[in-house]
Amino acid sequence: MDHLQLAAHTFSSRLILGTGKFSSAALMLEAVKASGAQLVTVALRRFNREQLEDDLFGPLSEMPGITLMPNTSGASTAAEAIKAAHISRELSGSPFIKVEIHPNPQHLMPDPIETMEAARVLASEGFLVMPYISPDPVLAKRLEDVGCASVMPLGSAIGSGQGLASAAMLSIIIRESSIPVIVDAGLRAPSEAARAMEMGCSAVLVNSAIAASDNPAEMAAAFRDATDAGRRAFKAGLMRESSEAVATSPLTSFLGEQS
Amino acid sequence: MQLKKRAKEIVQKSLKMITIQLNGEPESLPEASALSDLLAHIGSDGKTLATLVNDQVVRPPERTAHILREGDRVEILVFAGGG
Repeated sequence: MDHLQLAAHTFSSRLILGTGKFSSAALMLEAVKASGAQLVTVALRRFNREQLEDDLFGPLSEMPGITLMPNTSGASTAAEAIKAAHISRELSGSPFIKVEIHPNPQHLMPDPIETMEAARVLASEGFLVMPYISPDPVLAKRLEDVGCASVMPLGSAIGSGQGLASAAMLSIIIRESSIPVIVDAGLRAPSEAARAMEMGCSAVLVNSAIAASDNPAEMAAAFRDATDAGRRAFKAGLMRESSEAVATSPLTSFLGEQS
Repeated sequence: MQLKKRAKEIVQKSLKMITIQLNGEPESLPEASALSDLLAHIGSDGKTLATLVNDQVVRPPERTAHILREGDRVEILVFAGGG
């Protein structure tokens, strides 16, 4: 079977779902179900007694086959991310941590230096580190060297819906990487998830495109199918591109042709 | 109802109160309250919460024995939606 392998963990789904920005917890849970996702991200936040429905741990942990991947969003330094990771592991029991360190709320670009430091420490502590990074092939390789379980380069800025603006860089990362490459952030349409998978990504992480849809569950199902289609196409092998037309029908022996 | 409220006030006055910082906001509690009492006070069974006192994680089995003191900084955290 063709499974996503993250360290010793095996997943049949290659679509990872983010749980932010849904208009209700019920819609989010429906989308998780429809997506077939087995890994879902959550964020650590202060308890708010006026917003008890914010607490997603209960409902998500009751869903069969779901593994939580807490993120460190809100952290702007390695030290903050490490602290968030420790608390998250305490609460979730999950070894997965999405290291996400973005100091600037305007562009939300990940800080490579702090990310590298947090990843190094957390990997040495036994976390399965999934770092959210800019599409930098050198950084990706350095993160692999310190024991990350995957690298998660962005397709484009978080929540921007600009798709695979980083495609050329992603291709290099995919070619060079010995660990799974997961496109995280920026996807808008299922066709972009399919393209990422056709390029050889191991999985895609999608949130805004599904949460901001008029029908999140339906969009989640569309992303599920597109991710599967892209993966199958990659495994089957795409035909070589040619700068010239190559006929599919015989061009000789046509009606009335003089022999 | 008025009587019940009054009774509560009398009980509270007879107890010495302390003030802690709960998620950055002041919160009054009877002296010698445990962390588990605080969770009951905010209406949670604590199963889906992480708790820290003065930056140290306090695990669920330790919450009943963990007595809060004046000025303690208590953080209660949950998993919310995030990408």
